[in-house]
Amino acid sequence: MGVDVGGTFTDLVVLTPDGAIAVRKVATTPEDPAVGMFRALDALAGARGAPAPAAQRAPAVAGAPRAPAIELLVHGTTIATNALLERRGARVVLVTTRGFEDLLWLGRQDRAALYDLARHQPPPLVAREDVVPATERMGPSGVLDPLTDGEVARVVAAVRALAPEAVAIALLFAFRDPTHERRLASALRDALPRVPVAASHEVLPLFREFERTSTTTVEAYLRPKVSTYLERLDGGVRQRGIGALRVMTSSGGTRAPAAAAAHAASLALSGPAGGVVGARLVGAAVGLSDLLTLDMGGTSADASLVVGGAPLADGAGAVGGIPLALPAVLIETVSAGGGSIARVDEGGALRVGPDSAGAVPGPACYGRGGERPTVTDACLALGWLDAGSPLADQVQLDPAAAEQALRRLGPAAGGDSARVAAGIVAVAGAVMARALKRVSVARGLDPRRMALLPFGGAGALFGCQLADALGMGSIVIPPHPGALSALGLASAAERADLLASLHRPVDGLEPRALALAFAPLLAEGARLIPAGTLLKYADCRFAGQGYEVTVPVEGDEPARIRDEFLAAHRRRYGHGGGGLAVEIVNLRVVALREGPLPRFAGETRTGRRSQGRRAFVVRGERVTGSVWALDELAAGVTIQGPAILAGRDATALVESGWCGTVHPSGAVLLVRT
Amino acid sequence: MSLDAVGLEVMGHAFASVAEEMGLVLIHSAVSPNIRERRDCSAALFDAAGEMIAQAAHIPVHLGALHESVAAVRARAPAPGDVFVLNDPYAGGSHLPDITLVGAVEVDGAVGGYGVVRAHHSDVGGMQAGSMPAGAREIFAEGVVVPPLRLTPDVERFLLANVRTPEARRADLAAQRAAVERGADGLRALAARHGWAALREAARDLQAYAERRAREALGRLAATGLTATDWLEGDGVDDTDLAIHVRVDIRDGVFHVDFTGTAPAARGNVNCPLAVARSAVLFVVRTLLPEDVPTNGGVTRVVRVTAPEGCMVHARFPSAVAAGNVETSQRIVDTVFLALARGGVPVPAQGQGTMNNVSFGGTRDDGPGTGGWTYYETIGGGQGASHGAPGPSGVHVGMSNTRNTPIEVLEMEYPLRLKAYALRRGSGGVGKWSGGEGVIREFEALAAMDASVLSDRRRHAPCGAGGGGAGAPGRTLVNGAPLPPKASTRLTAGDVVRVETPGGGGWGQPEPGGQR
Repeated sequence: MGVDVGGTFTDLVVLTPDGAIAVRKVATTPEDPAVGMFRALDALAGARGAPAPAAQRAPAVAGAPRAPAIELLVHGTTIATNALLERRGARVVLVTTRGFEDLLWLGRQDRAALYDLARHQPPPLVAREDVVPATERMGPSGVLDPLTDGEVARVVAAVRALAPEAVAIALLFAFRDPTHERRLASALRDALPRVPVAASHEVLPLFREFERTSTTTVEAYLRPKVSTYLERLDGGVRQRGIGALRVMTSSGGTRAPAAAAAHAASLALSGPAGGVVGARLVGAAVGLSDLLTLDMGGTSADASLVVGGAPLADGAGAVGGIPLALPAVLIETVSAGGGSIARVDEGGALRVGPDSAGAVPGPACYGRGGERPTVTDACLALGWLDAGSPLADQVQLDPAAAEQALRRLGPAAGGDSARVAAGIVAVAGAVMARALKRVSVARGLDPRRMALLPFGGAGALFGCQLADALGMGSIVIPPHPGALSALGLASAAERADLLASLHRPVDGLEPRALALAFAPLLAEGARLIPAGTLLKYADCRFAGQGYEVTVPVEGDEPARIRDEFLAAHRRRYGHGGGGLAVEIVNLRVVALREGPLPRFAGETRTGRRSQGRRAFVVRGERVTGSVWALDELAAGVTIQGPAILAGRDATALVESGWCGTVHPSGAVLLVRT
Repeated sequence: MSLDAVGLEVMGHAFASVAEEMGLVLIHSAVSPNIRERRDCSAALFDAAGEMIAQAAHIPVHLGALHESVAAVRARAPAPGDVFVLNDPYAGGSHLPDITLVGAVEVDGAVGGYGVVRAHHSDVGGMQAGSMPAGAREIFAEGVVVPPLRLTPDVERFLLANVRTPEARRADLAAQRAAVERGADGLRALAARHGWAALREAARDLQAYAERRAREALGRLAATGLTATDWLEGDGVDDTDLAIHVRVDIRDGVFHVDFTGTAPAARGNVNCPLAVARSAVLFVVRTLLPEDVPTNGGVTRVVRVTAPEGCMVHARFPSAVAAGNVETSQRIVDTVFLALARGGVPVPAQGQGTMNNVSFGGTRDDGPGTGGWTYYETIGGGQGASHGAPGPSGVHVGMSNTRNTPIEVLEMEYPLRLKAYALRRGSGGVGKWSGGEGVIREFEALAAMDASVLSDRRRHAPCGAGGGGAGAPGRTLVNGAPLPPKASTRLTAGDVVRVETPGGGGWGQPEPGGQR
């Protein structure tokens, strides 16, 4: 089972051993996501006749046939993300090399905004008075100033006096020689056994001191909160007789709770990673390996990429403004979600976001007190959503409230509510198109050669509009677009990422030396994920350059790595360096054990005819199109736009000029007619 | 037809996306770190009349300056599809390292607009590696001068024959050309989607929208006859102070700066063409506008810059200009801010006002294994405080916003060791809101090498505003002995260069009981 806790809804997807899928959506309980999750779990278990918690197991159910128990629950959590965004982590003491205590405050010396001179970079997670310098210095080729035993004792005393909730240690060049960090870490762990200690050579053993220090601080900051949450969750899971709990990490793989708690910073993008994994699976099912994906949620839209059948992972990024250089699925977020609020600025332009109505009060049409028009209100007013069927079986939509909110914007936006609504979706589309273009172009990829995979509750309403804006010729509407993240979770691979620094020119590197350098990573990977697949990668660059390209490594022949790098570099950046020397800076090992593959085709879908016709507005024009039940479409059915595909958890819009064919997987493939 | 509320926003995103795409293509296919990582480059889309539609500026010093490049190219009667190259500060350029490509975009057989890409090349020949020689007295010493020329293979061969690192230049030029072509593709795709006539109309409406919003914002700031004088500390040849004098008038929503009273052309290279002065003024205006006003030709319309020809900020051929772009532009920003602050316009106090350009290099004579390397960096400092917020510390201010070089990279690749890298406590000016702190960066030379520093604000401190105190001026020390603001020196192994960058000015009278 995959459980994806979103801002508004919690999605559950059950994957049975034969690959069949069941989907459930419930309201999220923002005050404690675990409450809503277990509530949903219990409801689903009850409905399926699976063992409900002992307290609720009524005699009436006892005689019902028992479905097999849940063997594995995979959770995508926002606990780490929210702790970073809301600054609710542990009080951290940071130990640095003396003379470099200000590293986190100096950052990369670029300012937060080009023209807003009062804006500051988000402050570090550590208070400046909580930085403890250690007298020692490593250089590129070893010890410059030794760390004395007396200094270790002094540092331990200084840290203890500050009574931290967690400790981060990040010394210069620890990625090359961790001896000093190790001694300090071990002394601090002995002295403060109840306080988690994160050392930079364990968290991110790579060069670039600012990013490594920042990432180590994030680890310390999150660890107490994440481990408490996961322990509690694991307890609840066991109590319900569920076999095991695993947690999604930012890199799109899952870890057992204990391992995840010890790599708390790797959960920073746990939430959105599931969707990209799900998108990859659907792409594989329909035979498309290069996808631009768009997850449109309540408050924002996340753009990402699947290239060559794998989610694209980029290292360096930031969450909540804090640099975090761990492997992560690429996510570019823009504020264009269903709840994004529209307004007219003082120059007379219609804007959408960044303000959002969130889950509470939600869009005006939720009838919960929201008064400002949102993207969802616009979709309802345009007839894209059906007021007759409640959203996710829960929220009854109120078209009058949507109308009223849109009308309020009318005079400023220069039109009646229908024009305002059309305007809102056009602007939201333009914002998302720009994000999609950015993620692809910035990586040397041409969106015109990729397929668009929109998902989330509202993503598939925007598919045709976005494909047009980007010149894309095909769209994949996945089965259960609203629960794709949960599906990704249910079927994600178990995965551990291991890193090591190398910094050696390829020329003159012996295969044996390379094998020796990979050996500890491979051993650790095999230990963490027994009987898994071990994949080797190398981060390469041209000598003296400040960016790397990660290439797969087969065998131990350095020359092959160079060829692989040159080819990859040419593909991505258009040139092969013109004879510049190549160096390998980092080594990576990914240990993987694939999850169960969903058997999309196994569902019995019998819908061969449309449910009727309905009038709606597309690009400012009133059209009448067919309406189909998205979750029931039988394989082979073709659908001419304009059409609306209404599912239980999401709705799709097929504009005229597009034709859809239902794939055996349940996905609908749209191409231009 | 004119764009409605929706069209403005949709087309605004569409044009901005094309400019953004050009910038991304450039950054991702360029070879040299100065473009890839420091992002000393920008890209813009212009209409057929030579007015800017959208710009992806990664660094403010290019803000609004590409207009002159397009004008210079239009004077050469470009044919549809032509791509021009130029760096001549006296014909559309800024300083020689900034090489600009201008592509005349073919739409329906005519020139439909221009794609413009400017990038700072760390080598364009001249008397010194790095092409920013401190002692230059004429532009000829600063590198190869390229007037607007069609970028043919022959022109490229000529250009590459005049530089020290032709391979890197060739690759960077190819990246620029790819970016120009991507811009042309993008403009044509938009034309195909929306119709060419509607697209032109949309571009004009967007410029009018930006102008409307800029005028509205400036209209709230009416002020006349605001004056200020500030000083540049030496020109690399003579270490004497050079005056920059401004008079600022904001009337009817137009921001006018006149430089009458500014020092005449300097003997060294701190002069700049008027285009650079205009960029600096435009930067100040940009900080006064709401952040979401698009940067296009509409904003340029509300800015007027005048200066006597031949003065330091309206340089005449063949004055040397290399440092004008990096240091004089900073001081222009400072002087305009100072005039505004004195006139009661709510602007931030002065920031560090320099980029603290530091370079180290070994020649081939320095012995085996040490020869033929150069390393260049700029160091952040204190930002001036604003009314309502302290100034950020340890950042690039004004016309620069490049990133630092990680210590671990610096030490792995060059014979240098960092002894300290810290905020310079107490350097920010006092005030109700205090100025940002400067930076201390201390290098130890591990071998014999040349070092040069091109800096400012070593004598004249950044001013506070609204009664706030001045930031501390900067210092450069070699083994404890101070260097003049602009200087070159020879180091032997074990020598220590310590750069202390200026703090920003404070804002408002300090309150009893401490600062915010």
